[in-house]
Amino acid sequence: MDDLAVVTIGDVLVEQDKGSTKMKITRRKFAIGGAAASTFPMLGLARPAIAQSEPIRIGWLAAMTGASSAPAIGFDRGVKYAAETINAAGGVKGRKIEILTRDTQGDPTKAVNATQEMISQLKVHAIWGPTNSGESLAVTPIMARSNMPNIHPCVVTSLIDTKKYPNAFRTAPSLGQWDDAVRGYCLNVLKVKKVAVMGDTTGFGSAAANFSVEALKKDGADVVYAANIDYNQPDMMPDMLRAKNAGAEAIVVWSTSTGMDARLFNTRAAMKWDVPFVGHPSMSSGDVANLIEKRENWNKVYVVGYRSCSFDAAGKLPPRSQEFVDRMKDKVKLSDSLLWWVAGGVDAVNLIAKAIETTGTSSSDDIIKYWNSLTKYPGYFGNYTFSPDQHNGYPTEEVVMSEASSAKDGAFSLAPGYKA
Amino acid sequence: MVASILASGLAVGAVYALIGVTYNTMFSASRVISFTAGMLGMLGGVFGSLFTLRLGLPLVVGFLLTMACCAAVGVVTEFVAVRPVLKSLDQHLYVLSTLALSIMIQQLTATEWSTEPQRFPRLFDIGAGIFDEKFWLPIVACGVAMGALEILYRHTLVGKAFLAIAEDNFAARALGLPERNLRIASYALAGMIGAIAGFAGGELLLAFVANGSLLNFYGFVAVALGGLGNNRGAVVAGFALGIYQQAANFIVGGIFSSVAVFALFIVLLLAAPQGLFGAPTVRRV
Repeated sequence: MDDLAVVTIGDVLVEQDKGSTKMKITRRKFAIGGAAASTFPMLGLARPAIAQSEPIRIGWLAAMTGASSAPAIGFDRGVKYAAETINAAGGVKGRKIEILTRDTQGDPTKAVNATQEMISQLKVHAIWGPTNSGESLAVTPIMARSNMPNIHPCVVTSLIDTKKYPNAFRTAPSLGQWDDAVRGYCLNVLKVKKVAVMGDTTGFGSAAANFSVEALKKDGADVVYAANIDYNQPDMMPDMLRAKNAGAEAIVVWSTSTGMDARLFNTRAAMKWDVPFVGHPSMSSGDVANLIEKRENWNKVYVVGYRSCSFDAAGKLPPRSQEFVDRMKDKVKLSDSLLWWVAGGVDAVNLIAKAIETTGTSSSDDIIKYWNSLTKYPGYFGNYTFSPDQHNGYPTEEVVMSEASSAKDGAFSLAPGYKA
Repeated sequence: MVASILASGLAVGAVYALIGVTYNTMFSASRVISFTAGMLGMLGGVFGSLFTLRLGLPLVVGFLLTMACCAAVGVVTEFVAVRPVLKSLDQHLYVLSTLALSIMIQQLTATEWSTEPQRFPRLFDIGAGIFDEKFWLPIVACGVAMGALEILYRHTLVGKAFLAIAEDNFAARALGLPERNLRIASYALAGMIGAIAGFAGGELLLAFVANGSLLNFYGFVAVALGGLGNNRGAVVAGFALGIYQQAANFIVGGIFSSVAVFALFIVLLLAAPQGLFGAPTVRRV
């Protein structure tokens, strides 16, 4: 059969020599072809029926173990909660949600293998994740080649490109949106002009710090000190002294290393300097609380947060978030995670389910088309808006700054200067 | 600034020096450069934090258990990564076997402990600023460990037996010394020295899995500069390295301090391939 191409003409199967117009039709082949051809219409009729009753398979690329597992563990709680809630209510038009989780361990190679398995063997209808940019950079082109509907929360700007990756949608802020919030807080709320920027020496830390320096300069700030610090460096005094001597009035920090964060805070206290730190959410991690020498060393640290997951001055969450938290009470643990991770996991599953419910199909094109039509879709983490030309769905105005040391049930107090 | 450079430079240098001595202790007994030395230092911090902070055991008990656990890891190293390759030392297979074990230890620690740095307890709560115990404790620990090793090697029969197999293990065996048992004991001793490095440096370096590779590298630099097998050389080189690195942190910034260390390392090895305090290798012709 290698040198023959099978074509159908009406109900008759014909084998055609490749590269020639000569056709051979034998009685045996005619009979087989006839049988096959008469079966196909039946299969064709049966397929939609199967599709309408089969489970909705959602691939979930989660770094459940390894260095960057904390977000995925939080997202996973939301994913399971959403799937159980939908299934308990009868599913999506009778179709159950099936979550197919693969632990990528934060390793791009494992993420690639899991993605290929999900597409070619598990035949998932959509993929949620990965949850870190390194993995996402590796798998996004693979998903694009298969037109696999994909939602992810990764911040790296280049992951969203509606021309290259028309199937990929972001439901969390981009790095640019984070930086807007940090820069805006420094310049407009803290009203400082002289800023020091410190990133760690990882790819993310360097890229984010460079991006931040350029944007601060563009907005008229005086970047008096910029450095990349090895997150293993046991003593932060050299960089802190240089920043102080340069006259820094605020320090912007871009690092995912809680050890580096805690050492910076402890060094600031040892120097008796009250300069504010502003930047990456890792500065609010519970691990920092274990590493700081005194609780007050954590004061005046402001991190990127989200209005939907922030307490106002009266200590209250927005009504919709409070309703969400109340509903999850005793079902989902929030005390050791972040509310936005759990809410983001719920929103991802709901977005996929809603697309299939609204369009009535689970075809990739229909799911993508549905997401492209969303304006202010009310999620629990945020109100998402997508269009064919814009797949950064999270609203910039929802990105705020929070007080790093104020965590309670996964949510934070708004940093000083915000109105409720 | 100078006081700060000296305080943290000497403290980190003391940890590097002890890791260098760990390398040497394993090397003397087996002629193997075991890349588990840094992991033993890392485990000193992790076990210390586990026993004293997480399990709440008294300080002395936690310290002794840490020493025992690291000694056990040292013995495992001898059995798993060293003994099988001793017959083919010239092929340098120990580089692979000890590195492989080192990676396994690191991965296991990351899985079972944490990938994030964890707190190490205040041990005595003495001192503040540049006289804080996190700075002077590693220096004191290094001094005590070196003193104890000197007494062991110069004034005890077991110590002299260690020196004998380090000098010529064939001759030592011919004289009836239990070379295999002494080698195992040397690896246990190396484990304990690594444990002291990690425990004493815990407040400075924290109980952090990533310290393993860092100590592996800088401890090796101390050994290479001080001369392989030369403990006094490793201590001098370790302290010098710590101060140099910290000065580079202040002068050229953290990202370039590693480059500065590498540059110095290469220049010094070009000038003195056997290390600053090592004797040139004599080859029989």
